[in-house]
Amino acid sequence: MYTATLTTINEMHKGILIIWSYKFNMLMQLLSLAFIFIGISYFMGGGELQPEQLSSALLGYMVWFYAASAVSNMSWDLREETQVGTLEQMYMSPVRPALLLLGRTIANLLTTTVMVVLMGGILVLALGIPLQLRWEGLPIFVITLVGLFGFGFMIGGATLIFKHSESLGNLFQNALLFLNGALLPVDRLPGWLETFALTMPTTQGIIVLRNVMIDGQSLGAVWADGSLIWLIAHSLVYFILGWTVFAYCERIAKQRALLGQY
Amino acid sequence: MSVAIEIDNLSKTYAKRNSVAVKAVDALSLSIQTGQVLGFLGPNGAGKTTTIKMICGLVQPSTGRVLLNDHDVLRARRHAMRQIGVVLEGARNIYWRLSSWQNLMYFGRLKGCRGKSLKQRAQQLLTELDLWERRNDPVGTFSRGMQQKVAIASALIADPPIVLLDEPTLGLDVQAARTVKLWVNRLAHEQGKTVVLTTHQLDMAEELCDRIAIMRQGQLIADQPVSELLGVFQQEFYQIRVRGHLNGHRPQWLNGMEVTEENGESLLSGALQSQEELYDLIGHMRGLGLPLVSVLRTEPDLEEIFVRLVEEH
Repeated sequence: MYTATLTTINEMHKGILIIWSYKFNMLMQLLSLAFIFIGISYFMGGGELQPEQLSSALLGYMVWFYAASAVSNMSWDLREETQVGTLEQMYMSPVRPALLLLGRTIANLLTTTVMVVLMGGILVLALGIPLQLRWEGLPIFVITLVGLFGFGFMIGGATLIFKHSESLGNLFQNALLFLNGALLPVDRLPGWLETFALTMPTTQGIIVLRNVMIDGQSLGAVWADGSLIWLIAHSLVYFILGWTVFAYCERIAKQRALLGQY
Repeated sequence: MSVAIEIDNLSKTYAKRNSVAVKAVDALSLSIQTGQVLGFLGPNGAGKTTTIKMICGLVQPSTGRVLLNDHDVLRARRHAMRQIGVVLEGARNIYWRLSSWQNLMYFGRLKGCRGKSLKQRAQQLLTELDLWERRNDPVGTFSRGMQQKVAIASALIADPPIVLLDEPTLGLDVQAARTVKLWVNRLAHEQGKTVVLTTHQLDMAEELCDRIAIMRQGQLIADQPVSELLGVFQQEFYQIRVRGHLNGHRPQWLNGMEVTEENGESLLSGALQSQEELYDLIGHMRGLGLPLVSVLRTEPDLEEIFVRLVEEH
């Protein structure tokens, strides 16, 4: 546990230093994402901003940002590390690579949280969106992230073997934005698309989060209606599957000497 | 003396898409003593880098095992990884967005170092490598030579007993390569570290290494102390200079010696089996009326030996 904590702190420290070195780019990215949300909001409001209608969309958008960041961390960033040889250096650490990966993911989560808080804060203040913070949302959010991490591990595994997984990352980022219910509830999608959307890593999390944060339902209520149970099962399956896929891809990468190839 | 690296029957076969298997390393066995500097040589594609990566646990062997100070790389990975510091070929090995100090702190903690001792070690390494003044500058702003110094310092931050350097001077200018060479020399001969060095710069290998292992097509074709390897062909190699030209004739009694003709003289160079052959050859020259200018018995350098060994196998 001690090693795991120190590893996570080390990865986090490195992640923050690197992000800070790209501070201007990050600021521009944050502003771009904020503008995209404002544009989408006008579009959804038929040319008018309706702040009270946007709480639900903002909540979904913020969860999507976590998903986009997880995909980016496990595709572009991992590929970059493979290319420059730092991934191989990480694999020569006495710490288990799985632990390093977990530390890296938590570091990414924390830095993303800072960005989400900034972006969310700017949007709430600028557009006057009423977003009530309720503690019941926190465990739902954490369970959603568990599934999201699993999804990130799958992308990471694919990156170890196929390297050029940016297009896959792009596909998932866009699919998640429009199909995970971030902007439009999935029950408004055609039946076949709704079924597909429900299998995506953050969809169920966003549904339950909205029930709790926007509609004010209690944890007991979302447990009783089965949506929380479904979310837990969904996230566990994604996490276990993601971890298994990553471990398998890592083994293949070592067999084929791909850890340092790009 | 104890064994630092034990390579036992190590093989690596890559399965290719067209189903033709490629044997990159074939039943390699090698023991490297503590404090020894091993030069690992071979032409491109000989299997050197694959071997280095199997020693580091980055590539899984098809058969065999590697022990680093008695710790199995696959079975006791955590202990084995504490034994090594590695600079790999063709990679930056470090984060260019971070400063040299930040890189050393990160890699030090990654290797399990903490607190004051880590900072002292980082300061010592950066000072010795003349990087202390620029410790807070991003490594991306450094010259190639300085970046390689930071990579070496990062590999050494945990003070590992074994150091693996894959082409450490590749792409460096003369001055930077010289600094790296001095450092390798210090590591081995002052600090008693076990060093495995792969390089195509054979003069460097000859200067720094105690022992040379040569690989070709995945197999070890030579493994001897440098002095013994240099002595293998030492007594047979001659340069004979005569006045006049052979005019394109290459009679059999030349025994395959190379002939260079210029400025009215001919230079015959190559290996002879015995001094009898030398006298025979001089006799033939005399018979052709070509006056003898000089006879020189040369000591072949590692480059000549390397070329001959690779050609013979």
